[in-house]
Amino acid sequence: MIAPKFHTIIEPFRIKTVEPIRQTTEAERRVALETAHNNVFLLKARDVIIDLLTDSGTGAMSVYQWAGMMKGDESYAGARSFDVFEKSVKDITGFSHVIPTHQGRAAEHILFHTLVKPGDIVPNNTHFDTTRANVEDMGGIPLDLPIHEGRRAESVHPFKGNMDVAKLEQVLEEEGERIPLVMLTVTNNSEGGQPVSLANVREVSALCRRYEVPLFIDACRFAENAWLNKTREHSLSHRTARSIAQEMFSLADGCTMSAKKDGMSNIGGFLAMNNGTIASQCRARLVLTEGFPTYGGLAGYDLEAIAVGLNEALDEDYLRYRIRSIEYLSERLLACGVPLVTPAGGHALYLDARRMLPHIPQKEFPAWALSLVLYLEGGIRAAEIGSVMFGRRPDGSERPAELELVRLAFPRRMYTQSHVDYVAEVVQYVNAMASRIRGVRIVEAPPVLRHFTAHMAPAHGALVA
Amino acid sequence: MTGKSWAEPWRIKVVEPLRMTTRAEREAAIERAGYNTFLLDADDVYIDLLTDSGTSAMSDRQWAGIMVGDEAYAGSRSFTTLQNAVRHHYGFEHVIPTHQGRGAEHILSRLLISPGDHIPGNMYFTTTRVHQELAGGTFHDVIIDEAHDTESDHPFKGNVDLTKLQALIDEVSADRIPYVAIAATVNMAGGQPISLGNMRRVRELTRPLGIRIVLDAARAVENAWFIQQREAGQGRRLVADILREMCSLADAMTMSAKKDSLVNIGGWLAARDEDLADRARNMVVVYEGLHTYGGLAGRDMEAMAIGIEESLHEDHIRSRIGQVIYLGEKLMDAGIPIVQPIGGHAVFIDAARMLPHVPRAEFPAQALAAALYVESGIRSMERGAVSAGRNASGENIYPALELVRLTIPRRVYTQAHMDVVADSVAAVHAMRDRISGLEMIYEPEYLRFFQARFEPVTRVFRSAHSHGTASLSLVDS
Repeated sequence: MIAPKFHTIIEPFRIKTVEPIRQTTEAERRVALETAHNNVFLLKARDVIIDLLTDSGTGAMSVYQWAGMMKGDESYAGARSFDVFEKSVKDITGFSHVIPTHQGRAAEHILFHTLVKPGDIVPNNTHFDTTRANVEDMGGIPLDLPIHEGRRAESVHPFKGNMDVAKLEQVLEEEGERIPLVMLTVTNNSEGGQPVSLANVREVSALCRRYEVPLFIDACRFAENAWLNKTREHSLSHRTARSIAQEMFSLADGCTMSAKKDGMSNIGGFLAMNNGTIASQCRARLVLTEGFPTYGGLAGYDLEAIAVGLNEALDEDYLRYRIRSIEYLSERLLACGVPLVTPAGGHALYLDARRMLPHIPQKEFPAWALSLVLYLEGGIRAAEIGSVMFGRRPDGSERPAELELVRLAFPRRMYTQSHVDYVAEVVQYVNAMASRIRGVRIVEAPPVLRHFTAHMAPAHGALVA
Repeated sequence: MTGKSWAEPWRIKVVEPLRMTTRAEREAAIERAGYNTFLLDADDVYIDLLTDSGTSAMSDRQWAGIMVGDEAYAGSRSFTTLQNAVRHHYGFEHVIPTHQGRGAEHILSRLLISPGDHIPGNMYFTTTRVHQELAGGTFHDVIIDEAHDTESDHPFKGNVDLTKLQALIDEVSADRIPYVAIAATVNMAGGQPISLGNMRRVRELTRPLGIRIVLDAARAVENAWFIQQREAGQGRRLVADILREMCSLADAMTMSAKKDSLVNIGGWLAARDEDLADRARNMVVVYEGLHTYGGLAGRDMEAMAIGIEESLHEDHIRSRIGQVIYLGEKLMDAGIPIVQPIGGHAVFIDAARMLPHVPRAEFPAQALAAALYVESGIRSMERGAVSAGRNASGENIYPALELVRLTIPRRVYTQAHMDVVADSVAAVHAMRDRISGLEMIYEPEYLRFFQARFEPVTRVFRSAHSHGTASLSLVDS
């Protein structure tokens, strides 16, 4: 750790390998956006200058992870890389059964396929998009139970990711028979990357144990969540991020994990749990859709990279830098009046499109329009988390999302402070022209996870008046 | 270059140490593994011939591709690279990556099969058939009879029997057959190829009826090489050219790139039909990942694109299959009963012929694989009744073939390793009378061969390992 008399937080690493960024002109981006049907998910990555679409699988690996890649044991069954992986996961989570999957949504698919029956209800602080889709795919009903403050972008509650415990108790009391599991997503991505407090996990855990319903953690940002607990909850300030994470896992019966986030890897995930019977059922499904239980659809080299990455994610110098780099951007933008979800989240900054573009009704998707203008003006790619992503209900009707956000998600260890300064400049510029931004409409979209492939168009002729 | 030489068209750039074990260590290891080679720790294996799937050595060019992989979540340039390679060599317009072959099978089965449908194919494959059944379909084996005869030397034992296919169409009607599943090569028949002429005739039969052909192309390059070597009129064509024609006879393909394409992970689904491709893209995002990465890292798509190209070098494919044939011929010289002709990716020992004293209900191939491991540290795989599983009424299926597969990973083992394998199999052959059958004591619901556990049936006790309990013995000594 840097001596406390200096306040600059530096990256606790230097750069070993670089990847060129291609510059584009506004004219080129205009063409690219049109070709991509006004959907940033359909842009070619080479047409993007700063890619903040997601922090999932996009980070830079360390030299130790690359060394692990070279050591990967590609044996189909019983590979030593699995032992290394399993040990790393067990050391952190304490769960007795570890099942690798090719990424997080596969772990969700297998867990829900095993536990969820049609008509079942799955409570979660807030489901993320693929989690929601996988619950619905099994005929289940995803039920979001965030605390009230979680849905107020400008509230400064330190743990806006928390679950509403009173509502959970009510639903467990009334619908207990229909609830096969309770999930807790840490950090709460859909609500702005906000942390869940350890105290909240304890309360949720106690309720689940009382009603004998298993609690599973969607753990993809477990390390960031642990760090935010350490820095925002005084009674935890003396504890290590690792021990906070370990305690969180000890309060649950299992977890799903996308190792593409706090596994610091470009691919991979896992499902872990204590119940051996459920684990056997999950493995039976695993071999059908993923792979043999000791590789789960990953190469041996990926297992090694994740094993190393999980531990690097808990390094406190790294976490301090990681969270600080997002706060830095948050402070810069707040200083010039850009409406944001506060406090800054763990992995991303969320622009509040409803406040920035109050003239665009939700049925014209203000956050989506904002994401298009950010690309057009600055070549920045960011994802809408609003009514395109969450507005379509399973019965086909539209319901505006609670929040209209644009997420600037930061790949881990990838962009420097000067990249962040550039992002701040572009966002300020776009904020200054906000009144000229116009809404968009859906041209065509698939029924499930439509934001990935939807074709969109300006609702009033032009995106910018 | 002519003649029998199959010298590798590469030299070794990176090595991985092997661990030697003692016979006592291996006895303990196989007991821990429930006499199932799938459950052994790889560290306890000397030469690993369990599978050629994902176990290949990548080239320096592929590793370079791993470094240039574009990890962008959407629109990655590595996807474009892969798409171009598949379009160029396999000839399908729409390319959807998946994390491996079964990811593609899962999606295709769900999209094409309605409950009550019938799917004919040139012999079942374990994961493929389960996906067909879970989608509500029934698999029908329409492979030629010679495929079930280990001693037949038919050059294309993977061929479809057109009479059987026609009979099924007559019986259930064409509109209950969403597609014919063609595997090239046919793994369960012993890595046996299908001929181009046969594929053309299947196409002629199915096209007017509107029945699709789906090609399982995991080892289609190896299949193309056999066509070049064995089929009249094909000897002067390039393997790449034959592959393109094979693909042109299909409507869609599933691919496990862990075989032909020389990678450790990856696969894809490809189709000509835009509507099918669109539906597949909408489904892939739920189970695999966005359609421009399909559950793979960008680097994996980069390595696959390079692997596809390397797999089609004539020198590579000759050397690849040359090594398999080298091992097969050594075993034949030693009098070991193997499936003939020798297949593309593996040598298959006929366990039913080698262990006639072990009844089929005691899984002779499973027992032989376990014995080979105990005697030599070589890991092989059962491909017989354990793999075949149970029929709809819950009875064990006893397929005509009861085989042990010695599968050769690509570019991993040397000629000296093959010599060790041949000598070890010969040694086990010499003591074959003393090998006991096995009883299944744990059976999972799906794909039981992966995780089933066994015990030797012979009631020969010996004081065994450190914990001091008596254990049953696989080999009566």
